[in-house]
Amino acid sequence: MTKAVSPLGEAWGQFLRNKPAVAGLALLIVIVGFVLYGHFLFNADPYRIVWGPLTAPGEREGIPLGTDFLGRDIFVLLLKGGGPTMAVGLSAALLTVVIGIAMGALAGYFGGWVDDLLMRLTEFFQVLPALLFAMVLVTLFAPSLVTISFAIGIVSWPGTARLTRAEFLRIRELEYVTAARSIGAGNSRIIWKVILPNALPPLIVSAALTVGVAILFEAGLSFLGLGDPNTISWGQMIGQNRNFLLEAWWPVAIPGLAIFFTVFAVSLVGDGLNDAFNPKLRSR
Amino acid sequence: MAMMRYILQRLLYGLILMLGVVVLNFFLIHAAPGDAAEVIAGEMGGTTEEMMAQIRAHYGLDQSIMVQLWIYLKQIAMGDLGTSYHFNRPVTELILQRLGPTVMLALSAQLIAMLLGVVLGVLSSRRPQGILSGFVSVFSTVGYAAPVFWTGLMLVILFAVWIPLFPVEGYVSARFRGTGLAYALNVAWHLVLPATTLGILFLAQYARLSRTAMIEVLGADYIRTARAKGLGEGKVTFNHALRNAVLPILTIAGLQFGNLISGALLVETVFNWPGMGRLAFDSVLRRDYPTLLGVLFFASAFVVLANLLTDLSYRFADPRIRTGGR
Amino acid sequence: MSPLMSLSDLRVEFDTRHGRVTALSGISLDVMPGETLGIVGESGCGKSITALAMMGLIPNPPGHVTGGVIEFDGEDITRASNRRLRQLRGRDIAMIFQEPMTSLNPVFTVGDQIAEAILLHQDMSRAEADRQVIELLETVGIPEPEARAKSYPHQLSGGMRQRVMIAMAISCRPKLLIADEPTTALDVTVQAQIFDLMRDIQAKFGVAIVLITHDMGAIAEMTDRVAVMYAGRVIEQGTSDQILDTPLHPYTRGLIGCIPVLGRAAASTDRLPPLAEIPGVVPPLHLLGDGCAFAERCALADDHCRAVRPPLDDKGHPVACHHAGEIA
Repeated sequence: MTKAVSPLGEAWGQFLRNKPAVAGLALLIVIVGFVLYGHFLFNADPYRIVWGPLTAPGEREGIPLGTDFLGRDIFVLLLKGGGPTMAVGLSAALLTVVIGIAMGALAGYFGGWVDDLLMRLTEFFQVLPALLFAMVLVTLFAPSLVTISFAIGIVSWPGTARLTRAEFLRIRELEYVTAARSIGAGNSRIIWKVILPNALPPLIVSAALTVGVAILFEAGLSFLGLGDPNTISWGQMIGQNRNFLLEAWWPVAIPGLAIFFTVFAVSLVGDGLNDAFNPKLRSR
Repeated sequence: MAMMRYILQRLLYGLILMLGVVVLNFFLIHAAPGDAAEVIAGEMGGTTEEMMAQIRAHYGLDQSIMVQLWIYLKQIAMGDLGTSYHFNRPVTELILQRLGPTVMLALSAQLIAMLLGVVLGVLSSRRPQGILSGFVSVFSTVGYAAPVFWTGLMLVILFAVWIPLFPVEGYVSARFRGTGLAYALNVAWHLVLPATTLGILFLAQYARLSRTAMIEVLGADYIRTARAKGLGEGKVTFNHALRNAVLPILTIAGLQFGNLISGALLVETVFNWPGMGRLAFDSVLRRDYPTLLGVLFFASAFVVLANLLTDLSYRFADPRIRTGGR
Repeated sequence: MSPLMSLSDLRVEFDTRHGRVTALSGISLDVMPGETLGIVGESGCGKSITALAMMGLIPNPPGHVTGGVIEFDGEDITRASNRRLRQLRGRDIAMIFQEPMTSLNPVFTVGDQIAEAILLHQDMSRAEADRQVIELLETVGIPEPEARAKSYPHQLSGGMRQRVMIAMAISCRPKLLIADEPTTALDVTVQAQIFDLMRDIQAKFGVAIVLITHDMGAIAEMTDRVAVMYAGRVIEQGTSDQILDTPLHPYTRGLIGCIPVLGRAAASTDRLPPLAEIPGVVPPLHLLGDGCAFAERCALADDHCRAVRPPLDDKGHPVACHHAGEIA
C-alpha cells in the first residue's frame, strides 16, 4: 500500500516539477551558502584596503571583482554585505507576516466592528508611502538592524492582512468550521487550529514574496544611507560608490546584481509555490 | 445627486485619513528619544537657547500632551507645518516648491507604465503561449527584482555616459536661459531617464496584469457575441475586450500610488531631481524633522487624492457601479 | 429549392492535451430558406461546434476545419476570406446564445450594442440607427424601448436580455438565425415567451432558424426538421413528426422518453410513461473506438455494434444504427 500523500507533500511534488522554481531555489541556496559560509573560504577583512581605489574587475589577480572607492575588495565586501541584507529581509518579512496574519485573522474571523476598525487601520497604513514612513522611523529612532526590520515590518503588513482576512472570510463559512464549533471548540482554537492551517497555502506564497520585498526595502534604506552604520550591506555599497559612478560602474553594478539575483530567485520560488498550490492556474 | 454625495463622502474619509497622519506625526515626535523641542529643532548644532524657547512657546510644549496635540492640529489646519531650521523657511512653502517636480515625475512614470504595459499585455494576450507572452512573464519578474535606484544608475551609465543621449542628473541644464517651450523641452529631456526608471518598475506589473485580465475577458461570452456581429479582431480587442479589462487594471493602479511615491523618492535621489523625495533625503541627512514629517504629510495627501481620483474613474468606467445595480 | 445553408461531410478537429481529437466527423445537414431545423443531443455531442462552424467562428487555435464544405447561399465559407466572413456574420447569418446574462457586454448600453451591428453592416447615420434600435426593441416586445435602449445589460432581466440579443440578431434582416440553447438559462414561462417571439419573427421576416437544444419539448414546439447528434456525428435525421412519432435510434428514443411533455400529452399526469433515463454519459472524444459510439450505453448493443460503426442509412428516414427500430 502506498502512503497517503499530504496536500503539502503533493504541492512539494508539483513544485519540483516546475523548472524555473527549482532553478530559483538552487540559485537561492548558492547565494545563501556564499553569504553564510563564504568568509570561511575566503578569510579576509572586508575593511582592508587591498589595492588602489576603483580597480577594474580582472585588472589585478586575486581581486576578481575589482575594488571600491576606498580600494576595498568588492568580492569580500559582497560576501560580508549579504548577511545584513538577508537578516533584515527575513526578520522584516517574519514581522510583516505575523502582524498581517494577526490583523487579518481577527478581522476576518470576528467581522463586525472589529473588522471595520482593523480594515480602516489597514487602509490608513496603505495611504502612508511605505519607504518614506520607514525613513522617518529609522531617522527618529536611530538606524540599527532591529529598527530597520521593525520599520519595514510596520509598513508592509497591510497586504498580508487583506489576504488573510479574505481567506478567513471564505473558510469560516465552511462546514468543518461549523462542525468544530458544534463540538465546542473555542474561538482561539478555531482561529489557530482549524482555519489558519487551511488558509496557509496562499499565505506561504505571500510570505515568500514578502521576503523579496523586504530585501528590496532594506537595500533602498541602506542606499539612502539609513542602514545600520556598523555593518556593510549591498544597498549601502551602491549608495557609497554612486558618487564615483562616472569613473567606475562596477562598484555600483555588482552589488546591484547581487540584490537582483537574490530577489529574482526568491520570486521564482514564490511563483513556483503559487503554481504548486493552485494547479488550476498553471496554464496562465 | 448620488455622485456628488459619493464624492463628498470620499473627501470626508480622506480628511479623516489625513487627520490620522497628523496625529501619527505628533506622536512620533514625542515618542522619539530626546526632548520634543530638540527633535523639532533638529540636530542643527547652532540652535540657540532663545530659539528653543521660541519652539517651546510655539508648540505649547510646557502644557499637557492633549493640549499640545490640539495646538499642533490647529497649526496644521491653518497650513502651518512648522519651520525648517535648516533651510530657515516655513516647511509648507518649501514643500509646495518641490511638489510640482514630484507629481510630474510620478505621473509620467505611471503613464508610461500603464500605456506601455497595457499595450504589451494586450498584444501578448492574443497568443497566451507565444514568445511575447513568455517575454512578459520573464520581464515582469525581472522588472520587479531589480532595485529601482540601481536600475536608475545603470540607465545613467548606459544612456548618459556610454551613449550620451540624456543628462546624468538635474531638472534643467545649469546655464539654461530659455523660456516657454524651450524650457519645457529641456525639462522633458531631463525627465526621460528618471521617468523611465520609475516606469520600468511598474510597467512589468501592468503588462502581466493586463495580459491576465485580457485572457480572461477574451474568453467571455460577450466577446463571442461581438465576433458573431461581424466585428473585426481589432474592434473586438480594443473596443469590447480592453474596455472591460481596464477595470482590474484601474483597481491595481489605485493601489500603486503609495509605492509610486516610495519609488519616486529613490529615483529623485539618484537623478538629483528637485522633488519632495530629494527634499526628504536632504532633511534626513540634516535631521530636519519638521520638513521630513511635512513631506510625509504631503505625500500621504497625494496618495489619498490619487486614490479618490482612481475610485471616481473606476465608477465612471464600470456602469454596474455607476448606476447602482448589482 | 436549393438549401440556404448546407454542410457536407464536415470534419472539425481540436488540439487537446490528449492530442488531436475529432469533434465533428462527417456532418451533413441542409437548412432550407424559411424553415426551422432542430439539432438535438446532450452536451458534448458537437451541436454547439456545428453552430460555430456555420458562423465561421471555430476558435483557432485549438480548432481546425479539416474537411468538408460549408455552403451558405451557394458560397463555400470554409474558403471565404476573414473579410468576407465578417461581412456575412451579423448581416446574413446571426446568432443568439445560451447565456443572455453574460452574452451582452456589461460596459455598453444595449442600444449601443444593437446600433453597433447596424452601423457595421448598413449604410446609415447614427441617428437613423438609433431610431431603428428603438423599432427593433419594440418588435421584440420590450416595453418603453426609448428608455431601455439607454439601459445597461445588468439593469435588465434575463428574458429581456435575450430579447435584446434577438433584436441584435435580426437587426440586419439575416437569412439564417442560429439559436444555441436560447432558453436554457431562463424560467419556464419566459422560455415559452421567447419561443413565441422567435416564431413571430420567422413569420414576419421569413428567416430560417437553426435551433440547437437538448430539450425535445422545444423540438416538438418549434422545428420542421430535426437532426439528432451523438459524439460528433448525426445519428438520425428526419421531419419533426418522423423523429417524435417513429424514432428509430435507441438514443433518440431515450431522449424522447426524457421529455417532460407540456401541452400535447400532458393532459393527465398519471397516463405519462415513466421517465426513461439513458444510463452513462457521452464518451470523451479522445476515447472513441471503431464501433458505434453509443454502444456502451445501449441495451441493444452486441459485438457487431462494438466492432463496426453503423452508417447513416435510410430506414424510413436516415438513421445510423444496426438495430434501428428494434425494441429492447
